[in-house]
Amino acid sequence: MSEANKTDAGRHLSKIMQNAYMDLHTRAKEGAFVVWIAINVPAELFYGFENLVYAVPESHAAMNAGKGVGAVQCEKAERIGYSMDLCSYARIDIGCAADGGRDSPSFGLPKPNLLVSNNNNCSLLVKWFDVHHREMGVPHFIIDVPFCYGPQKEKDRNYIIRQFYDLIQTIEDLSGQRFDWDKARQALDYTNRGIVHWKRFLSHARHRPSGITAFDSFVQMAPFLIMRGTPEFEAHYKLLADETEQRVKAGDFPVPDERYRLFWDNIAPWHQLRDMSSNLADSGANIIGATYTSCIGTVEGSFDMYPYDGRDPMRYLARTQNCYICPHGMGLRRRAMRQAVETLGIDGIVFASNRSCKPYSVTQMDQQKFMSEHLGIPSVMVDVDHADVRKYSKESTFTRLEALLEMIDAKRAA
Amino acid sequence: MIEKIKALKGQGKPVIGCFPLYPPLELFHSLGLNPVVLWRLKGEGGQTGESDRHLQNYTCSVARHMTEFLLSEESGAFLDGIFMYNACDTLRNMPEIIEGGLETAGRSVPFFNIHIPMVPPAQTDGDEYLKNEVNRLIEELEACFDRKFDSVAFQNSVAQFKRLRMLYLQAEAAVANGGIGFREFAGVFRKAAGMPVEQQQGILEPLLSQYAENSKNQDKAGIILSGILPPPDAMVEAMESSGLRIVGNDIAALHRSYADMPQPGAEPAAYYRDFYFNHYPCPTLLYSGDRRVQALLERCQQTGAKGVVFIGEKFCEYEYFEFPYLEKKLGGQGVQTLLLELAVDDEDHSAAHGARIEAFAEMLSTS
Ligand code: SF4
Ligand code: SF4
Repeated sequence: MSEANKTDAGRHLSKIMQNAYMDLHTRAKEGAFVVWIAINVPAELFYGFENLVYAVPESHAAMNAGKGVGAVQCEKAERIGYSMDLCSYARIDIGCAADGGRDSPSFGLPKPNLLVSNNNNCSLLVKWFDVHHREMGVPHFIIDVPFCYGPQKEKDRNYIIRQFYDLIQTIEDLSGQRFDWDKARQALDYTNRGIVHWKRFLSHARHRPSGITAFDSFVQMAPFLIMRGTPEFEAHYKLLADETEQRVKAGDFPVPDERYRLFWDNIAPWHQLRDMSSNLADSGANIIGATYTSCIGTVEGSFDMYPYDGRDPMRYLARTQNCYICPHGMGLRRRAMRQAVETLGIDGIVFASNRSCKPYSVTQMDQQKFMSEHLGIPSVMVDVDHADVRKYSKESTFTRLEALLEMIDAKRAA
Repeated sequence: MIEKIKALKGQGKPVIGCFPLYPPLELFHSLGLNPVVLWRLKGEGGQTGESDRHLQNYTCSVARHMTEFLLSEESGAFLDGIFMYNACDTLRNMPEIIEGGLETAGRSVPFFNIHIPMVPPAQTDGDEYLKNEVNRLIEELEACFDRKFDSVAFQNSVAQFKRLRMLYLQAEAAVANGGIGFREFAGVFRKAAGMPVEQQQGILEPLLSQYAENSKNQDKAGIILSGILPPPDAMVEAMESSGLRIVGNDIAALHRSYADMPQPGAEPAAYYRDFYFNHYPCPTLLYSGDRRVQALLERCQQTGAKGVVFIGEKFCEYEYFEFPYLEKKLGGQGVQTLLLELAVDDEDHSAAHGARIEAFAEMLSTS
């Protein structure tokens, strides 16, 4: 999208993202302690350290894919022996790191002093970070989060909290810096307030026609991944929610003749956002929500916000380790999806079966069956790799999407 | 496997199907239960038709065959319980898929589940967490099967499994010095798998008493097999007829399962602390990553292997993330590597790997 066509929030997003990556490189060069983290490592804790910056390889990989260089980076990893069957985020990151950051829109990521992985979204991420740990000789801290089939248990929360304390200790030991609780608490406040705005932004999907598309929300997730805990994070989501509210009030909708309200299940197809959204809009269809974006700031089994109560930050951070979709089981996913389908008035669901992300995709076949049998919601399953365009077929995807619209029509006519 | 499970049922003890490969077998055994590790189930439930209704085709063959087995009327119906500990991203979704599948078929089986801490012990102390998990499992088993944990029985079970592990290690040593062929060894393992521990010993003992050291093939290039499951016989045959001698293995279902001897004891939590945290390194035990390369290099040194053949279980990320680095490290020590990939229906076509195996054998013979 050209700058001129962007919304204010869209332009602001480009600016803050650019600044964030520039700041990351600059501060790393000036000697800040650099941590690479999995997306749901509690980044707010890092603001308790004076001179520390963090980078998020998954988000960086998504950016590469969104800018059209995902496959180029994947091929680099494949050339050094990494299988094409591995998660495309991992291949992008490994390929990019092996090639010194070349082709990356942000010139790669600065070399880390510490790697912090987390096995709640997926266990393979630990193996992926082990690749860097071995190749770069950098310490690797593994956060182990028990997978949950029901609400998080107290024993698991305490176990996670213990690991957070060990993480702080590890950083103190490695960086020589002292941890400041007040600063971490303040960071958590920024995150919490930012998420309130994020939820406000997403709530405009309830409007008919929807005030947003899931494609907008995919793009706008980036600050959540790399800027949590900052005033810029809060300010950006306020701008986004306010602007969306104004547009809805003014009757400015992304798909004004919206006839089909769809819901997306899986990671965003980063390489197809524009193409998919405009093609769907031509048919009067709008993907108005997604599990991927709805789960931000929630806990397992619901897409409602789980607010920070201002008390023990460790308890809150541990409690929200099960947000996102992958760290919890099918029953919980089902409950949250059902809630979204009902509140948003969804006509059909697109299950994006993503061979790059098994933790997200395994269970989808059963989910699809449940949604059809118990809620009577038409759905299709399309094959998408979120970051490797070589594993995507536009033709077959659109054939299925068209079939979905036909199913919805048939249901309405019945 | 199904026949063995039926036979176990005939003994009157409840049968617990376990996955993945390192469940607390001694504990089940001490409670008078018959644990069966659910591995290499291809062919047990026919095709993958049932599993295909639940799992995409980009999940590994282990998960697909296991799902097929558990959901099929024939086999799954004979289990009295299913146990699982946390493993890969595919397996962690299995309990609900299987429970749902069984429910649809009008059946239900109690599921037992524990979380093994995946934190490196030097980083975070997972002892207490593991202890609680083990104790919770004991309580759940006691309640479900009306048993009472007994520490003397536990020690006896520990001794039985220790004996079995030692027998496997002896058999493996016999493979290394040429007295037993790898195919024969794997065949015995397959035959023993799923049987009670005492019967497994009874199968291995005669094998060991019969073997004689064989110096005939010592000139052949020695290799180690690495992977999740042993390769199909046709593939082993292709290796042996190409002039390769399998002198050891780093296979999850084999060496990685029996290589370590946890400190015997009467207290399950302490025993399993040793069992899991000092376990022979395996990519599925995330905390063992730092010991993995060294362990494989040592295996090569101990057996004099000149090469390692990785049997890649297609779609197993745990294994595949490690191959490039292992290949590099082994190469640095003069150990050559070959990666052969096996997918869900490849077993019968493994002869197709023949040309690559021959080329590898030739390379080793000239290196
Ligand atoms: S497998 Fe899925 S959850 Fe894991 S890193 Fe890849 S995209 Fe993320
Ligand atoms: S082979 Fe790998 S992917 Fe398959 S079940 Fe085992 S650990 Fe999981």
